[in-house]
Amino acid sequence: MRIVIIGLILAIFSACGSGNKSDEKAFLEGLDSTKTEGPSISSEVIGDILQSIPAPLEISVLLKESGKKYNAGYLNSPDNLPRYNSNYQKALNLGIYGTDLGYTNIYEQNQDGVKYMTAIKDLADGLSIGQFFDIETVGRLATNSKNLDSLLLITTQNFNSINQYLQSQGRANLSVLLLTGGWLEALHVVCEVAAASPDNKQLRETIGEQKIILENIMLLTSFYKDSDQNMAALLTDLQELKALYDKVTITYTYKESTFEIVDGVMVIKDNSTSTIEITDEDIKNISAATSKIRNKIIS
Amino acid sequence: MSEEILKALTQLFAIITKQDGGVTERERQFVINFFQTELDQDSIKEYLDLYDQFSGYGKEDDGKSKLTSVRDSVKTLGICKKINKTLTQKQKIVVLIKLLELVSTDKNFTPQRMEIINTVSTVFNIIQDEYQLIESFVISEDARSLNFVDILLLNSHDKAEEGKLYKHVHGHIQGDLIFMRIRSVDMYFTKYLGEESNVLNGFIMQPNRVYLFSHGSTIKTQAGDALYYSDLVANFNEELKTTKLSFNATIDELKFPNGAIGLRNVLIAEGPGKLIGIMGASGAGKTTLLNVMAGLVKPTKGNIMINGFDIHTQKDRIHGVIGYVSQDDLLIEELTVYQNLYYNARLCFADFKEDQLHARVMEVLENLGLDQRKDLRVGNPLDKTISGGQRKRLNIALELIREPAILFLDEPTSGLSSRDSENVIDLLKELSLKGKLIFVVIHQPSSDIYKMFDKMVIMDTGGYPAYYGPPVEAVTYFKKSTHQVDSNRGQCETCGNVNPEQIFNIIEAKVVDEYGQPTNKRKVSPPQWYELYKERFNIQRVEDEREEPPHSLRLPNKFRQMLIFATRDTLSKLSNKQYLLINLLEAPLLAIILAFIIKYKSAPGGAEYVFRFNENIPAFILMSIIVALFMGLTVSAEEIIRDRKILRRESFLNLSWNSYLTSKLGILFTLSAIQTFLFVLIGNMILEIEWSMLLPFWFVLFTISCMANVLGLNISSAFNSAVTVYVMIPLLLIPQMILSGVLFSFDKLNDTISTKGKVPIVADMMASRWAYEAMAVYQFKNNSFEAPFYIWEKGEAQTDFKASFLSDDLEKRRRFIDDNIKTSDDSVRQLIQRDLTLIQTTLADDYYKKGFEKELATPWTPATYTPEFSKKLETFLAGYRKFYQDMFNRAVMGKEALMARMQNDKDNPYNLNEAKNRYFNESMADLVRNVTEKERIIEFNGQLIQQINPVFQDPDVSNPLNYRAPFFAPQKNLLGSPVSTYLFDVLVIWLMTVVLYITLYFELLKKLVNAFDRTPGKASRPKGDEPKKK
Repeated sequence: MRIVIIGLILAIFSACGSGNKSDEKAFLEGLDSTKTEGPSISSEVIGDILQSIPAPLEISVLLKESGKKYNAGYLNSPDNLPRYNSNYQKALNLGIYGTDLGYTNIYEQNQDGVKYMTAIKDLADGLSIGQFFDIETVGRLATNSKNLDSLLLITTQNFNSINQYLQSQGRANLSVLLLTGGWLEALHVVCEVAAASPDNKQLRETIGEQKIILENIMLLTSFYKDSDQNMAALLTDLQELKALYDKVTITYTYKESTFEIVDGVMVIKDNSTSTIEITDEDIKNISAATSKIRNKIIS
Repeated sequence: MSEEILKALTQLFAIITKQDGGVTERERQFVINFFQTELDQDSIKEYLDLYDQFSGYGKEDDGKSKLTSVRDSVKTLGICKKINKTLTQKQKIVVLIKLLELVSTDKNFTPQRMEIINTVSTVFNIIQDEYQLIESFVISEDARSLNFVDILLLNSHDKAEEGKLYKHVHGHIQGDLIFMRIRSVDMYFTKYLGEESNVLNGFIMQPNRVYLFSHGSTIKTQAGDALYYSDLVANFNEELKTTKLSFNATIDELKFPNGAIGLRNVLIAEGPGKLIGIMGASGAGKTTLLNVMAGLVKPTKGNIMINGFDIHTQKDRIHGVIGYVSQDDLLIEELTVYQNLYYNARLCFADFKEDQLHARVMEVLENLGLDQRKDLRVGNPLDKTISGGQRKRLNIALELIREPAILFLDEPTSGLSSRDSENVIDLLKELSLKGKLIFVVIHQPSSDIYKMFDKMVIMDTGGYPAYYGPPVEAVTYFKKSTHQVDSNRGQCETCGNVNPEQIFNIIEAKVVDEYGQPTNKRKVSPPQWYELYKERFNIQRVEDEREEPPHSLRLPNKFRQMLIFATRDTLSKLSNKQYLLINLLEAPLLAIILAFIIKYKSAPGGAEYVFRFNENIPAFILMSIIVALFMGLTVSAEEIIRDRKILRRESFLNLSWNSYLTSKLGILFTLSAIQTFLFVLIGNMILEIEWSMLLPFWFVLFTISCMANVLGLNISSAFNSAVTVYVMIPLLLIPQMILSGVLFSFDKLNDTISTKGKVPIVADMMASRWAYEAMAVYQFKNNSFEAPFYIWEKGEAQTDFKASFLSDDLEKRRRFIDDNIKTSDDSVRQLIQRDLTLIQTTLADDYYKKGFEKELATPWTPATYTPEFSKKLETFLAGYRKFYQDMFNRAVMGKEALMARMQNDKDNPYNLNEAKNRYFNESMADLVRNVTEKERIIEFNGQLIQQINPVFQDPDVSNPLNYRAPFFAPQKNLLGSPVSTYLFDVLVIWLMTVVLYITLYFELLKKLVNAFDRTPGKASRPKGDEPKKK
């Protein structure tokens, strides 16, 4: 036993002697001295563009109106969660799961909704934004399906606050990814539903309308293409999609807005119309390209 | 004596007497006397007729004597051969003496008669020298002509005549009392030449008649002198004269801890070569007396001196002199008879070579008649392989092998057959004749055994001595004291039997009431007997021999002792198949059960088992620790208790306690190492924990198992029974579970023990908590997935904490101060002061102090807190937050870049997900990062405490002695320098082990337990190398 003790004592001293100075200071000093390259555009500009993109959840309202049944197969399974290790993956998929959560909610699929919420909480924790999701509240509310509305509301609001928070933290790149993921998932689901009901004109138009949003997203992504190779790769993929969207034309006809009194309240009526020309072929191609990009992200 | 032998003897008598002149009346009378001692009245007639027929008594000599004599010689040979087959040598000697006596009755020593007797002696294999001695002794009527070494004369002369070989003793006697020793069979005979009537064992001695002077015999001369067997033996024994030994026990009083008196005024003084019996009613204190004399119990008043050395204070001068055979078996049951003795011998004789040791062991075994049984396992009384008598003899052999000068035996004959008892006492008698002083507590001895003692100490209820003297005398003493008839007769007239029961019947005789029913009042109370005793016995101290008593003990050095202990223990464990099997199978079985049960299809979707998602891993680690603790405790808890008997025996050897303990530890640690290794190996394999965790996990479990081993030895040394010890185990284990930090969070414990942000002190005393922390932190930090990213994740987590939570909290406090700075409310001002100090100290410790160094250097007070200062602080806090946000982003980027680099490595692309599935465990990560904690920051004792991510928090090393850190901290403060938690925690457990070893060495727990629980007469374990005060 004495030998063991002596050995241990020697071990301590050798451990001390080697002086593993891995404390916080050294680490911070190291970080402090590294040169980092951020986007060349100021965060305010990025914030403005981000604001202009509608939340992906809004798109999914269309889906229910199309009369199609709930299909979990369209969505990214929460079981894929463990695959997302880097912040890039986490942020994109957080967006995707956000859209999926909205979809499950529209169809009142509570069980699946809870799963997505858990996955969202998990990813948010990984991105150090877990404080926006109180897992206990989520859990408690989820035990009662009547609470789901409020739960969804909280979650949706949280996405907004997350965006703001990330921007304030100088992590707008994550906001971009979050939005991209959400938008891509929405587009994917719409494409899937549209493929199932080819006659639905509104869905086709919605797909076409995404051209504008895609351009915004690509603009945002391009800010980071030099500093982040993941972003650069994403941008390349989006460019392929963009090429397909180039065939889609949106004609915007402007007409003066009019005022109307509806139930004693004055309402501004937008009389402008836009015509979207999109062929079946285009939809098919866009759908395929979207799936391709999405598959890359979720796997 | 069988009919056949008696017939043969009758024929012998007849043949001899009919030679040369035929049978005389006196010779015939002698034969009749002989028959009377052997036969009943009816048979005497029958045998006398036979004798007459053979001897031709009453017939006229027809002159054919020559022819007859040849025929008689042939007949004699035939008879003697027959006798040879049945009688022992001792009996043959008696026969020979009878023949000689027969001839000498008429002094008709014709050559033919003597020729026949000589032939008989030759056929009986009696040495010629001894025959000469016997013949001279029986025939001679002049004591002075007996010039032999084996003759002792007792007469009124002052000393022996010049030039004579015989021994001489002076006594008040007319004529000569002659004693003869037959050396080959160690028998003594006596005869008296003179006119006085001396008494042998209560019977008058006929002059010129040979008597057997057997064990316990006494001769009293007319003048009143008494000669005891033991004195006589002492006179013959040369060895005794050279043995320097004195034993003086003066026990004025022995008080038990409960106040009762165990012994009073017992005085025992003896020299070498005595066999002393101790008898007494039950509860009279026989064993107590023996224990006190042996030095196991210290008398309250009085002392025990061996050769003038105090048995308690001068232990080192007399070590190895005392041997003690307790009533219990002190054998190692798993070892063979030979091994028991052999290892004992190795501990006693360091200077012996292997063959010498073997020879010594075999010699002792042969002496005790155990050589045929030497390879049998000793076994226990329920699983017998050797008989009770053999066990007893082996117990004695263990003491005999080192030949202690003074031997104490507690009821060595209890439970033995009368034959075995006699063998044992014979052996002791023999030893005493070699100069040993032997004390034996004996209960209900047979007459033969009783008489074999040289002296008898009789104790009465209450620890009063009642008698101290020759055994047979005891009967007469008590008879006389109660005025009984025939009080001079100690033994039966015809058979020579002594009934020791008689003594106790007299001592404890009860007063009879008027109806003749005995009451419970004694006729003579113990103090009254003691009064008589004081009058009658005047015990003189034996003069102290001022030199060290003889001892042959040569102890090996401590290291060798340890090796011997270890070998012996290992052998005994190896021979216990059940023990071995259970101990080796326990760990793998538990590992299989545990790991099998908690392995489930853990992957999301439930398709397969993936280590990463097994939520049971934290529990598995806890269970591993509990199993290691449990195995460590159970394997050691009985060790010392089981050995206690052997330790007690070996306490007289003054062996090293340290050697004993280290040998135990050596074996137990080895066993623990094997057990924990098997456990971890199988557990890890089933649960698919990566190989690089095997050894680190094993070492923690081994460490904690070793700690449990020493803890187990502590309780084993402190408590009396195995049951108590096993009841203790839950008491020791459950706190280890409660305070392991896993079952109950340290932050949610009773407020009296909990310290926020640190491990409570009580939990720090639990080895389980250190082991758990070591394993959990090691698993998280060093698993193959996490290892490269740990440093980045740590930076990420800590900078995020500061940017998102700490700066918020500080800012909140600043605003509170701003809002309330003008208040005059004292309690609010106190809060302000507290917040100011809090902000100041928190920031002063921080890395980032840009532009604020001066302000942070001095303490803040409300007086110095001006609006300008507030503004400055606000700006600083904003900068602080910005700085850490920036740092956070850089850390994230660094990690992302590393991941991307690893994944995109062309030669060896890294599958991050695969690695994470295999090596990383989500539940472990959640645990050590404390993700479920909602309060990420709290204030406690004037400090802001980070509640999340303990595994990323570095310790405060400013105070070298402050070892405390949050549970699962990655590093610890060891005397001012950071050391990895794994190393630190393992060291803490080893430190506990060392402390426990110290308490074990000094038996502190035992002393504590004994302080509460004092049982009377409990013998302490005298220890050899207890630190001596020098």
